[in-house]
Formats: sequence, C-alpha cells, structure tokens
Amino acid sequence: KVTDNSNLGLPGVVVQQTSTQNRVPTDINGNYVITLQAGSPQSLVFTYIGFDKTTVPYSGNAVINVQLKPSTSSLDEVVVVGYTSQRKGSISGAVSTVNMEDVETRRVPNVSQVVQGQIAGVTVTQGTGAPGDPIQVRIRGLGTIGDNDPLYIVDGNPTKDISSLNPADIKTFTVLKDAASAAIYGSRAANGVVVITTLQGMAGKPVIELNYFNGAQQVTNLPHMLNSTQYLNKQEEAWNNAGFQNNPYTIAKTRTDLANTDWLDELFETGHSQSAQLTASGGSEKVQYLFSGGYYKQDGIVVFNNDQYERINFRTNINASLTDRLRIGTNLQISNEKQDWLSSSGDAPGIIRHALLRPPVLAVYKDPSDPTYSAADPFTDLPLYYKDAKGVGQWDQNLEKTSNPVALAYFANDKRNRFKTFGTFYGEYAFLGDKSLKLKTNIGIDLSYYHNKAFNQNFGDDDNGGAEKDKGKGMGRQNRPTNLSEERGQNLNLTWTNTLNYVKTFGRHSLNALAGSEYIKFTESGISASRARFDYTSSSFQYIDFGNTSSDLWNGGSGSEWALFSLFGSATYVYNSKYMITANYRADASSRFGENNQWAYFPSISAGWTISQENFMKDLPWITDLKLRASTGKLGNQQIDNYAFLTLLRKNGDRYVLDRYGNPDLKWESTLQNNIGLDLGLLRNSLYFSFDYFTKKTSDMLLKIQLPRLVGNVKPTYVNAGEVQNKGFEMAVSYRNKIGKFQYGINGNIAAIHNEVKKLHPNSPAIVDAYTKTAPGHQLGAFYGYQMEGIYQNAGEVTQHLYATNNPSEKPGDIKFRDLDGNGLIDDNDRTYIGNPVPKLNYGLNLSGNYKGFDLSVLLQGVNGVDKYNDGKKILDYDTRPFNYTTAVLDSWNGEGSTNSIPRVSFTDNGSSRVSSIFVEDASYFRIKNVEIGYSFGALLKKKIPGIQNVRLYVSGQNLYTSTKYTGLDPETTDPIDMGTYPQSRAFLFGMNVKF
Amino acid sequence: QKELDKDPIGLITPDQINATPTVNTITTTVDGSYQMLSSTLNLIGNWAWPEGTVIRPDFVIQDMASDDMQKKWAPDGDQPWMDEVSGFRFTANNAAFNGIWSFDYEGIAVTNQAISYLTNNELISSLSMNESLRNRCLGEAYFLRAFYYFDLVNNFGDVALVLKPLENFNEAYKVAIRVPATQVREQISADLAAAKPLLPAAKYSSNTERWRVSKGAVTALQAKIALYNKNWQEVISLVNELEASGFYSLNAHYFDNFSVAEEFTEDEVIFAYDHQSGKLPARGNGLSALLDWGFVAPTAGFINEFESNDPRLLYTVNSATKTVNKLLGSTNGTYKGNDDAPGNKIYIRFADVLLWKAEAYLETSNYPAAIAIINQIRQRARTTPAIDGSAVPAGTLPARNATSTNKDEIKGWLMHERRVELGFEGQRFHDLKRWGIAKQVLTAAGKNFQDKNYLYPIPQGEIDKTAGVITQNPGY
Repeated sequence: KVTDNSNLGLPGVVVQQTSTQNRVPTDINGNYVITLQAGSPQSLVFTYIGFDKTTVPYSGNAVINVQLKPSTSSLDEVVVVGYTSQRKGSISGAVSTVNMEDVETRRVPNVSQVVQGQIAGVTVTQGTGAPGDPIQVRIRGLGTIGDNDPLYIVDGNPTKDISSLNPADIKTFTVLKDAASAAIYGSRAANGVVVITTLQGMAGKPVIELNYFNGAQQVTNLPHMLNSTQYLNKQEEAWNNAGFQNNPYTIAKTRTDLANTDWLDELFETGHSQSAQLTASGGSEKVQYLFSGGYYKQDGIVVFNNDQYERINFRTNINASLTDRLRIGTNLQISNEKQDWLSSSGDAPGIIRHALLRPPVLAVYKDPSDPTYSAADPFTDLPLYYKDAKGVGQWDQNLEKTSNPVALAYFANDKRNRFKTFGTFYGEYAFLGDKSLKLKTNIGIDLSYYHNKAFNQNFGDDDNGGAEKDKGKGMGRQNRPTNLSEERGQNLNLTWTNTLNYVKTFGRHSLNALAGSEYIKFTESGISASRARFDYTSSSFQYIDFGNTSSDLWNGGSGSEWALFSLFGSATYVYNSKYMITANYRADASSRFGENNQWAYFPSISAGWTISQENFMKDLPWITDLKLRASTGKLGNQQIDNYAFLTLLRKNGDRYVLDRYGNPDLKWESTLQNNIGLDLGLLRNSLYFSFDYFTKKTSDMLLKIQLPRLVGNVKPTYVNAGEVQNKGFEMAVSYRNKIGKFQYGINGNIAAIHNEVKKLHPNSPAIVDAYTKTAPGHQLGAFYGYQMEGIYQNAGEVTQHLYATNNPSEKPGDIKFRDLDGNGLIDDNDRTYIGNPVPKLNYGLNLSGNYKGFDLSVLLQGVNGVDKYNDGKKILDYDTRPFNYTTAVLDSWNGEGSTNSIPRVSFTDNGSSRVSSIFVEDASYFRIKNVEIGYSFGALLKKKIPGIQNVRLYVSGQNLYTSTKYTGLDPETTDPIDMGTYPQSRAFLFGMNVKF
Repeated sequence: QKELDKDPIGLITPDQINATPTVNTITTTVDGSYQMLSSTLNLIGNWAWPEGTVIRPDFVIQDMASDDMQKKWAPDGDQPWMDEVSGFRFTANNAAFNGIWSFDYEGIAVTNQAISYLTNNELISSLSMNESLRNRCLGEAYFLRAFYYFDLVNNFGDVALVLKPLENFNEAYKVAIRVPATQVREQISADLAAAKPLLPAAKYSSNTERWRVSKGAVTALQAKIALYNKNWQEVISLVNELEASGFYSLNAHYFDNFSVAEEFTEDEVIFAYDHQSGKLPARGNGLSALLDWGFVAPTAGFINEFESNDPRLLYTVNSATKTVNKLLGSTNGTYKGNDDAPGNKIYIRFADVLLWKAEAYLETSNYPAAIAIINQIRQRARTTPAIDGSAVPAGTLPARNATSTNKDEIKGWLMHERRVELGFEGQRFHDLKRWGIAKQVLTAAGKNFQDKNYLYPIPQGEIDKTAGVITQNPGY
C-alpha cells in the first residue's frame, strides 16, 4: 500500500520495477500488486506528482508499504503558464505559484485576499473593511495612470474580476510577473497575469469534504474622541480664538439636556461571518468529477444588518476521456453575490466619517417628547432643537449639520445582486502515437446579470431646503424626497481559444511548442429607472410603479461591446535540463483601436541556466538547485473606454452636442519589461531562495488629456503619451524542517519597488488634483501641497514670515507653512511633493508547523514606505467647523511655546484648509493577519467511525495585531485620501473540517 | 475580423446620425448658447470645486475681489481659493480663473456652432427656415458671443479668438493662441453691429420667451463697451437711443428688479439669464444653495457705504438674518438653500445704464445732466418702501446739489451711487478698475492688490495644455 504523509491511501501512484516497463498503478485505496520480472534490478520506484520519487529495494514476497513524502523539491511540479503547462524546473521567466491548500487557513471570502502576503511583488489591499467591497491587486507596482488591474485566466477563461469565485474551489494561483511569462497574453498583460486553476476530481474512491466555520468580528484601533464636556470646552475655546462674541458654547455648557454620545461605540457592533463548503470528487480512469457547493455570509461591524455580503457558489468540474485520444471536460461555476451596500468611505454620506464628526452632545435617539419625534424615524438629525429666548423653536446653528451615522446605517437600503455563470468547455485531441501533439479547443463563458436597487427613504429633520415642491411637507433633509433607483443589466464575455501543442523529449532535448488563436467578444447592456416621492415606504411599495409619475421620472438604457482577435505562438526548448529558452509571440487586433493601429505585436524571450546541473557543481552537494534566469519582452494595455479613437456626440435635450474629439491614431499602451532572477535550493531544497530584479517601463501610456478649455467643455481625448518606470526586486525564502515529530516551515517574501513617472504629454505637463500631482521625476499620484514648518508662536513671527502680505489673516497658533519661493507670501507656488501613495516595500511571512495532530499557521504581512492623506485628521482635529475632535486636540496650541505641532482650535481658518504635510501620515503597517490552530483526529477516528478519514477542528484569528503610526482607522485601505473608511475588523472563527 | 470594425453601439458618432441639422437643432443650439451665463450648478463637471466650475464664479472675481463682498458670513477654511481671490493672494492656478474662462469659452463654443448653422445659407434654404426666426436666432448668437468675449477681454486682456466650431482634435491647438485685446474688441463690436439689425424692434424679441436677447440688450452692451473705451459721446448717444425706444424705465420699486414675482413684467431689466425651477435639463439658480451654506456676505465697508435708512441696503443684504435678498429674488428667505431656484441673474438693467450716461456727462463736463441722473436714481430709492413695507423717513437720500460744478465731488456721488445701487451685481470691481482707483481702494480695504492685478492671470491649466503657446499676463 502507498500512503501519503498523513497515512491516507494514494490512488494512481505509478509503481515500477527499476529500469523496466513493468509497472502498475495503485487503486483508489493506494493498494497495489506487482509481479517482478527476473533479471532486472530488484527494486521498485514509486512516482507520483507532488511527491518525492522513492526507490525501495526488493524484499521477496513481503508486503511493501511505502509512505511517500511530499516533494520538497518543487521543480517537478507542473505549473500552468499561458495556454500550456510546464515543469517548474524548465521555467525561465518570473512565475510564482501559491497552492491554495497551503493558504486554506485564511478563511476570507475573496480569492485575492487569500494570497495577500504570499507572493513577492503582489500587493493585495482590501478597498475597505465593508463586506463585499472590492479588493485591489497590484503586480509589480503601478505601471500607468490608467487601469492597473491584472488579467486573470481562470481555467483558460480570461476575466478582470474574480470576486465571484469560491476560494475553496481553487487549486493554484499562479502569477506571471515578467514579460516573458505574460507576453503570451499580449495586449492585456501589462499589469501582470494571474493564472488560476480550479480543483479537479481524481480517479479513485470518492472523497467528500465538509468545511464549516462561524465567527465574530469586532472593530479595533478606534481613535479616542472627546466627550461632551471636553467637546464644549474645546469649542468654547475655538469660538474665543476666532474672536467672536456671545459664545454659545459657554451657554451650552450650562445646559443639562445634552447627551454624551460615543458615536463610534454606537455605530459599531459585533459582526458575524459563516461559511459552509461541501466538495465531492472522485472518478474512474476515464471520467473524473468534482462537485462543490459553497455558502458564505458576512454581516459587518456596523449596526443593523445593512452591511451584509452573501455568496452562493456551485461548481461542476468534469473531465472525460471519450477515447484514448479525445478528452473533453467542463469547469463551470454559477454564483450569486449579494451585497447590502452602504457608504463605506468618502464624504457625504460616509457613515464612518459622520460617526467621527458628529458632536457627542447629540443623542442617538430623540426624546419622544421632542415635537419632531416619530416612531418611524426616532433618530436625532439636525443639531439640538431648542426654544430660544423668544420661545421660538429652532436648530442650533452653532453645531455643524452632520448626519446621524446610526440613522444612515438604519436607512441604508442599497442592494446589489449579481448572478454569474462562469466557466469553460473544452475538447482535446491527441495526435501521433505518443500523443505528443494535442489540439485543444476551449470555449469560455462569463455571463453575468446584475440587479442593483436602492430605495432611499426620506428621513431626518426638515431644514426647509430641497425642491420647491417638497417644502413645507415636513420632509426630512436626508433622501429628500424618497426615491428609488433600480438598474438591471447583463455582461457577456465569450472567449474561444484554439491551441496546438507539441511536447516531446528526444534524448537530451525537450521541446514544448504551441500555436493558437483566440477570439474574445464582450457585450453589455443595461437599463435603469428611478422615481421619487413614494407615498408609502414599506417593502411592498419599493417598486418603480409606486413612485410619483408627474415629475422626476428617470430612465436610461445603454450598451457597448468590444472584441479582440489574437494569434500567438510559444516555444520552450530545454537541453539536458541545463539550458532552457522560451520565446513567445502574440499578435492582437482590438476593436478598441482604429484601423490605423488595430494590430499590435508582443514578443518576449527568456533563457535559463541550471548551473547546479553542471559537472563542476558536483563538488558542492549541498547546493541542490541553482538556476539563473533572464527575460525580456513587451506587454500591452488596451483597458480604455470602448471606441476611444472615435469622436463622440451626446444627446443634450434635442441637440446632438460634441462630447469628445476622437484620436484616430490612438494605439496600444506598451510595457517593456526586463527580469533577471536566481533560484537557489540548498540542503535538498529544504532551504530555497528565489530572487528577481526587474525593470518595467510603460510607454505610450493611454492618457486622457483635456484640450484647452478655450475650445469649450469637451471630455478629455485619449492620446498615447508618457512613460512610467518601475524598478524593483523581489525575494522569496522558504525553509522546511523536522525536529522529531515537529514539522515546521517558514515562508517569507519581500519586494521593493521604485515608481517614477518619466514623461508626460507636452500638453499635459502634470496631472493635478486637489491632493496629488503626477509629474515627471515623481511617483504616480504623489501627494502635493504645502509643507508645515510649525506653528506661529506670536504675532511678530507672522509678520516676519509673511512680510509681503498686506494684513495677514494668520494669527499666532495657526499653521506656519514653508515659504518655498521666499516671497513673503504663502500661495500656490509654495506647494511641493509631500508624500508617496505607492508602497515602497511589501512583505509577508508565513509560519507553519505541526506536531502529532496539532497544526499551526501564522501569517504576518505589512507594507512600508507609503503615505496616506488623512483627511479625517483634517476635518476632525483642525477644521473650522464645530465637529468633534480626537483627544489629540486637547494639546492644541494655547499660547506662545505651548506646542509647535498642533494649531489652535478656531472657527476661522488656522491653516487647515490647505492641503499640507500635516495631514500626510506614514501608513506603513505590520499586521498579524492570521493565526490558525487546528487539531486533526485522523488516526484516532478512523478506527472508531469507519468512513470518516479525518476530522479537524480549528480556531482562527484575523487581524490580531496591527502596528502602525497611522492615526486613521485603518492603514490598509486602497483610497490614498482617507475621509473615514470602514475599517477591517479583528475576527475570531471556529471551524470544523470533515473528510469522508 | 468584421467584429473588430463594427459601428459602435450605445454611443453616438458623427457618422451615425443625420449630420444635417434640423430647424430644431439650430434653435436648441441657440438656446444652449445662453446656458453658460446661468448660475446653474455643475454645468461643467460634477462638484468640480478645484476646477472652479461648480457655479459660474463671476461673483468671486467681481464682487469678492472688490471691497463689497466677502466669502462667508463667518470666515472659515471652506473653498480657500475664494479667499485668495478676495485678498489678491492668488496664483494663476486659482480655480476662479479656470472657472470663468471655462464658462465663457464653452458659451463661445456653443454660440459658434449656432452661428455656423445660421450663416450657412445653403443649409438654411434647404431647411426653409423662416427668415425672421433665422434673423432673431443669429442676432441672439452674435450678441452672446460678444457678451462672452467682453467678459474675457475685461478679465484677461489678450485672449484666444475662436470663431468657428473645430473640425477635429488637432485644430484645438491651432486656435489656441492669444490675439491682442484690440482685435477681440473689434470682433465684439462687429458681432454687436451685426446683431442689432437682426433683432426685432420690440422690447422683447419673443413675447413668449422674454428672456431672449433683445435689440435693447445689444444697444446697452454697445453703450457699456463705449463706456469702457471712454467714448463718452457714443455712450450718450447709445443710451439716448435706448431711451428713445421707450421700452425701459426705472421701476417704481427698487426690488422689482430682483423679485421672482416681477420677472419679465417689470420695466428695468434689459438682459438677464432666466432661471427656472424644475426644468430638464436643469436651469435653476444654484447660487441660492450656496447662500444657505453661508457663502456671500457683505464687508463692513459695503454696509457703511449706505446712507442711513437707504432701503436698498436691506433689499441687497440683511445682516441680521444673513440673507442676500437681491440674489435670492425674495425678501423673506424663500429659495435660500434651493439649488434649483427661479431667481434670475441680472446682467444689465436700466439704472446701471443711466449711470453710465451720468458718467459720460460727467466726463464731458455736462455736470447738471450727470447730477440729474444721480438724483433720479436716488429719488427712486427713497420712494421705494423699506423692506418692512413702511415708507422711508423724510430726509433720507436727499437730492444732490444740482448746481455743483466740482467734478471730484460729483464723481464721488456717482461712485457712491453705483456702489449702493448695484451692489453684489458684479459691477464694482470693473468700476474700480475703470476709474483707475482699484489699487488705492482695495489696498485701503486691506487687500494685496498690485498693478498687475488690473488683469487676472490666464488660467495656468490653459498654458500647460498648450505647452506654453498660450502665454501668461505680465507679473504672474
């Protein structure tokens, strides 16, 4: 019998008498019987993919039980790279693979999240902590001002979005980082390509696996806000600092009807997540199957259940050999994703932002005696309704009109639903006697229907605003009037790929050649409608039909399509396992470009030298593997609006007006990438290093440039201009060892990147927005603004610094900005680069170990050298409106010499209105992302309950610890401008894994 | 392969539509030529504050830049670019300049399109467009183009002169070159001269759409240009021509100029943008929303300028309730906070025109005539009931001494009268520049006004977008 390291029978292992063709496979339980031939070497060789080849000497008629060890040398692993697969040992590009079973313990809903911290040079960032919000993946930095998302190839089917995939269905996640590996995907490969394969059934006894976990999440690292007393004192001080009379806060301090609300505490609750997963697989020699069903649900950490994400997945993967030469199969998933969306980041109506801003003196709920109280909307809204001296009720104008975040969460009703069918059908026919030539045709389908529905119910207090017809009707100011908007649509992406693949080894020469064609067509269409002024708001009325039909009816319809036709070829030649060379070539024609530039060509070449195979290395037996790799190639990017080369009109009332001028000469953005790499395996590869250095230069960037405004208000036109360079290195180290029964492994990776814009368009010397400036010599999207020099300590300092300013409005206690041009005036010309939004360093470290039935895995992850613009700090701590403050403001400037870092609080500008370095914070972080401890009852159970192979119980913790200098809620969010973002939570999960 | 070259779906390219415009295309293009004069929100971009295009920012570069208006009732850090304009601490990057430039040139682009249709005789005859309709449309378009260019040339001096719609992308860079202001002014005069005979000799060009440019508006703008060019006799004769038409007179009630209820029934407004609520596409007045956010407040100097009991003060601005009545079109706060308000935006009204004539008389030493006009304005003011409905106390706004021959004294009266009569109507800053006292007055008001500020800087973005072909004004 042949078993694996956990003593489970291994089916399909080839058992062969040494140096003969005498061989048998093991059965589904791993048993085998072999009759040895006389006169041949009396030993057996056991081979199985993923395990070390093991040779056992013959010993008569005895039963030989063999336990195969998982392959420590991964060189024989087969990696799926661009339309074909290769032995890892013969790859000369920069390719990294994660086997999902190694990272199964992540327990996160999105496949991309699972690989966070696992691959050098791949940065995965959660957009926000809100359930279902998008995950951002960046491979080797930011190459362009345009689209930077990688291309995913799932079982041969290309897509830009993998959020619908079930992580439990994934077998491997392979990143083609350099040009040589990715160029076969041509015009869509510039941002890197991720090849994902799903699990397949294997011949043998059915395996049924059940996995269930359930857990709770809680918010952590909340900022400390002022309580009511502190708040009123500070506002009183701010009012006085502004030089205003009749301080209303002095009066407010005497009031007894004010609340003391901790808004953050009111907003967050314990979230829950659960996941159930059932997988059944197995098959015969001819047909293998895998069925999988998964359910995932998360209810986030904001109160009420309007921040939920739910996903249901079904997968059927079947492979069948119809004849000896013809094999067909399907990998098909249907999924349904539902997100209860709420405003998880940004300004109005950012729920988190308003929880930070809202004064603590306001209660969450109105007192029922309040004349504006209603049971349907019991929340406070406008600040403090009170009777003035004349007995007239009014809102306190001295408190800023924040929104009640608890009410926002309660009334959030924005459901986003997506139903998706995603998968492939293929047929493969082998020619020639040795089946070395294979023709494969693959049809990929990616069909999704979406339905978004937002019912925005009117609530809050009447501030007498809004449209004329809504005035005087007692409508609240939020969502005024009640409105419903709904949209439905479908996207269909069809991919038809044909490849001819020749794989043959002749003595010391081996060849893998591929030629193919691909045709991709994408169509989308959508329809939307909205109505307003619903008489009733219960769920039975939340349909378009029940809105008011006399005004504010909107509807829309849209459609677009694009297509791509490609021809490609690839060849890998390996001599004597020592020297290898791979060349790729792809020609793409895209509907996104005009006839002048429809075709584009993407060549690449890579070479490798396995030095450890050379004779002169034989003296160094501790070097198991040493390989040098180099590659160069060109990649493209076509991810722009459809029809970008055409002049477009739009309909404005009855008039067709010019929307945008076209550029018929528009062409592909291209990226030239060079890579050199070194792999070093020591001590039978138990210690393995991999190192890559790369340069990546994007040119002819697809850049939208705004024509001079003097030609009128037209949308920007796409041009090809500019260059961006990324340079960096990546290093991965793994070490595995065993001390007695304690097995352990360490797996670390680190990547450094330097991003620099080299050139932009002559008519667009810089791309500037309120916070950033992208210009040659600096990073993409570098923060741009004033530099804080300190705090003006006295009036003399102000006049000395601002000597050319007539009547400077700055006062002692205000922020002193550096006068870069020294003209005695602080103006636009004193702005400079103040921060870097692109991480310079990314790292991840996995620790794993097992002892008897116990296992442990730990993931540490972090980024370094990145800044974030903490707009929350601006609006909380230094704003001129009476929002709440954090406790940092208790130490604000209050007289000469008091502080040189925190300006005075004031209702007049203290300098905080300028975009400046004071709000740029180091957002580097280090996180204990994940710890999981499990116990397997395997051997113990098997004797007692036949049929059950293993039961594993585990407990998992996420985001257990964060070390950062960042003072916002969460350093790990994608938006470089943090206006108050839904933070990631700390989670504890308990789960059970049963294998039948 | 065919799939790669299909016609686009879901979008419109010029090849796909019937390129020949219809009469409706032409008239809607003419109507669209007005849009950039409105205070409707987000006509360009969506809340693009850094671009200065959320709302037409003329109130910033005229009134806030002058000594009349400040950004907000309570100074704060919101929209600091407005403070920078107000304090003359701006650079060429300031959003205000990009904003006004963008609005004016977009207006010109639409107007050019209208003119190119209307001057295409072949097209017009093939459509059998009614000749009087065509003339009226063309007259409107010529006036509007002149109006936009007049604003540009006053703010920026030499500007690019674009007179035709662009054929393609590359042509944008050919027209992007500044021409001398005199050439722009010649074009303005030519457009107005062309517009005048095309418009009907009636108070309104259209009785059903009274907001359209009228012959009177053309004459008035010609007079204003003459005033700015100091052609005094021409000012007098053009204003006389306007008076002779008999269409315009001072309203008995000062606030009738601004009241939503009186729009297009009163006698004084010569040219205004007609804001309307609840239209699609929106054409409401968005400034009313800004007023609710605390924007637009008077300076102490402005309030002090009013003589005691001058009822115009409270009709302009009420500091107690923080309400800018004149810009809301109501006296009780109605429309405040409404981003789709109906109150019109007034560009030229007869009181303004009369004061131009007074200035021309003054400069040509016809003092009694100048004083008579000033007194006419004052009389209307004091006979207007106060905002609470009561008659103003006797002795308020007494007539100026009709026999004065002291030019400086009379000029002082004129300056005072223009400031209080036309406060917050976008006139003051140009008045100060025209009178050559901008530096003196604004420095006294605590601003950092320099000689270079007689012209605003060309928006830096335009210089960048043309790789420096568009040049900067001196000193910036």
